[in-house]
Amino acid sequence: MNASGPDVLAILPELLLTGGALVLALSEVFLRGERRGYQPVVAGVVSALAFASFAANASEPARALFGGFAAQDGLAIFGGATVCVGLFLTVLVGAGFLRVRAAERGEFYALLLLSAAGMCLLLRATDLLLVFVAIELMSVPTYALATYLRTGQRPAEAAFKYFLLGAFSSALFLYGAALCYGATGQTSLRGIAAAGGGPLLVAGLAFLLAGLGFKVAAVPFHMWTPDVYEGSPTPVTTFMSVGVKTAAFVAMLRILVTAFGGTGLAGTVAWGPVVQALAVLTMAIGNLFALTQRSVKRMLAYSSVAHAGYLLVAVAAAANGAVRAEATQGLLFYLAAYTLTAAGAFGAVAMLERRSGASAQPWDLDQFAGLARRRPWAAAATAMLLLSLAGIPPSAGFVGKLLVLRAAVDAGLVPLAVVAVLTSVVGLYYYLRVVVYLYMQPPAEAQEIPVHSWATDAALLATAVAVLAVGIGPGLLSDAATAGAKLFGG
Amino acid sequence: MQGTVAVLFWIFAVLAVAGGVGVVAAKNPVHGAMSLVGSFFALAGLYLLLDAQLIAALQVIVYAGAVMVLFLFVLMLLNLTPAELGSPRFGVGKVVGALCAAGVTALVVSTLVALPVRATPAATDFGTVAAVGRLLYGKFTLAFEATSVLLLAAIVGAVVVAKGKI
Repeated sequence: MNASGPDVLAILPELLLTGGALVLALSEVFLRGERRGYQPVVAGVVSALAFASFAANASEPARALFGGFAAQDGLAIFGGATVCVGLFLTVLVGAGFLRVRAAERGEFYALLLLSAAGMCLLLRATDLLLVFVAIELMSVPTYALATYLRTGQRPAEAAFKYFLLGAFSSALFLYGAALCYGATGQTSLRGIAAAGGGPLLVAGLAFLLAGLGFKVAAVPFHMWTPDVYEGSPTPVTTFMSVGVKTAAFVAMLRILVTAFGGTGLAGTVAWGPVVQALAVLTMAIGNLFALTQRSVKRMLAYSSVAHAGYLLVAVAAAANGAVRAEATQGLLFYLAAYTLTAAGAFGAVAMLERRSGASAQPWDLDQFAGLARRRPWAAAATAMLLLSLAGIPPSAGFVGKLLVLRAAVDAGLVPLAVVAVLTSVVGLYYYLRVVVYLYMQPPAEAQEIPVHSWATDAALLATAVAVLAVGIGPGLLSDAATAGAKLFGG
Repeated sequence: MQGTVAVLFWIFAVLAVAGGVGVVAAKNPVHGAMSLVGSFFALAGLYLLLDAQLIAALQVIVYAGAVMVLFLFVLMLLNLTPAELGSPRFGVGKVVGALCAAGVTALVVSTLVALPVRATPAATDFGTVAAVGRLLYGKFTLAFEATSVLLLAAIVGAVVVAKGKI
């Protein structure tokens, strides 16, 4: 057995999340009452506990776990803490959303927690075998969650598309892992770095990148994103955009840097230019398609694609060994900032969403019109979050973009940084258009008054305050990201 | 002995590849599924030649047995007519796909040919239930346990999908 006590203790967050999921799933069996208010509380407490156990380990030195299958390092801890925050916000958004629709079930929260456990495992996986299992554990619950509500806009189509393309991308990843194993005889990332390579390893890396590209919604693997994000229940969309993105990006960085970033033969594979090309495409197409959307939810889906592009800039910068720590810090900061901002923004969508499934456009811009008159605080919070998505100071999104661009410039990728700035300018238009609707348009005539939910309101206000606070004083978060950029064996 | 193994290898290998081609080429999905069963059986034979008895048995029981029965159930439930299946067409996508597949095949073959032959004999208990079990609960504990959680997630997910409309 190589499962020693300290190793098991190190994966305490995953154990907590799995345990919480079991409790919630079983609660549906044994507590047959119709009152389910305790479920989001349990899920929230479990995610807070998992966050605390990540935070408690923050100062531990990086080390390998379970004989090199996983690692306890800054990347795993910072990413895990980010995922737990995203999970907590999703639970808040979901609590209000489901209560209004009388759709609270233990399975919803159980699947969220199981998926989060998979994400935390993915963040620390240092062996392609475990990476694959963790990707599946992260994805399978989200496939089911995408079809959780059967009413509304084409939910079955969204879920089916997500499932098929997700399974396809997992197969691509697995094929890539098999080719890497065939080329090197190793599945551990450090083993691949130390072993020889050749063209087969390049093919393997290409498949691995394509598989992960689907998960992070990078162009040209983004086709599913708008339909799935729009068709899934809004809390699930929130979770996809914050959790899956964080875990998949950290896994991508870890694989590229640990296995293909060393000085060995595998390190000579020039993946930097490929990631640069993906970044340019993703930024351009994400922002351009977002321009034309009237549905705010679909706009946020394309915005999520665009943000994947900015994150890819950080990954491309990490190809340069000299600025790797800086680029990793930028990536982590950006992921944390995006988690806060996107969770809040989707929370605003959930707050305003019409309950009647008959409406053709439940997320139309008109829903946002005149919100400032009816609910000034919610409108101010939404505007703050949109400004952060656009990257306007003082906001967390601005600092994140600044750190990523600084890393790109230091890595000598000035053209890439220029493209990032230009596409951000395009992004301003569609984010600010929503703000204009919030403040300067009269409310539509027969507008349904959104139902108050303190949980969703709390998520909205908390994220807006946090985004502003990080924007004004980014020191704490950026220090944490610097500590998080210490990669085991990287 | 070596000769027999070589002959058996070629029989199983040809059957496995032919089965795979049959899956892609078959017009009737049920024929495709049956080709897949043949391919699975041939693969089980190849595993046996590699001394992996447990994997060979699992291949037959799980894949050729349980999984394929499910496949056939679904295919027969759908009961697709030739009209619904449509006729195969040759598009740019298929040509590009075929070229990529050929490229990857060439890459794999060239790498394998270049590999030095290392015929190290397997350990005496290689491939037995005990040896595989020791590996699963030893070296691969974390991945194994994570897989069990994955199965749990799949079950809960299936319940959510199958449950009535919420």
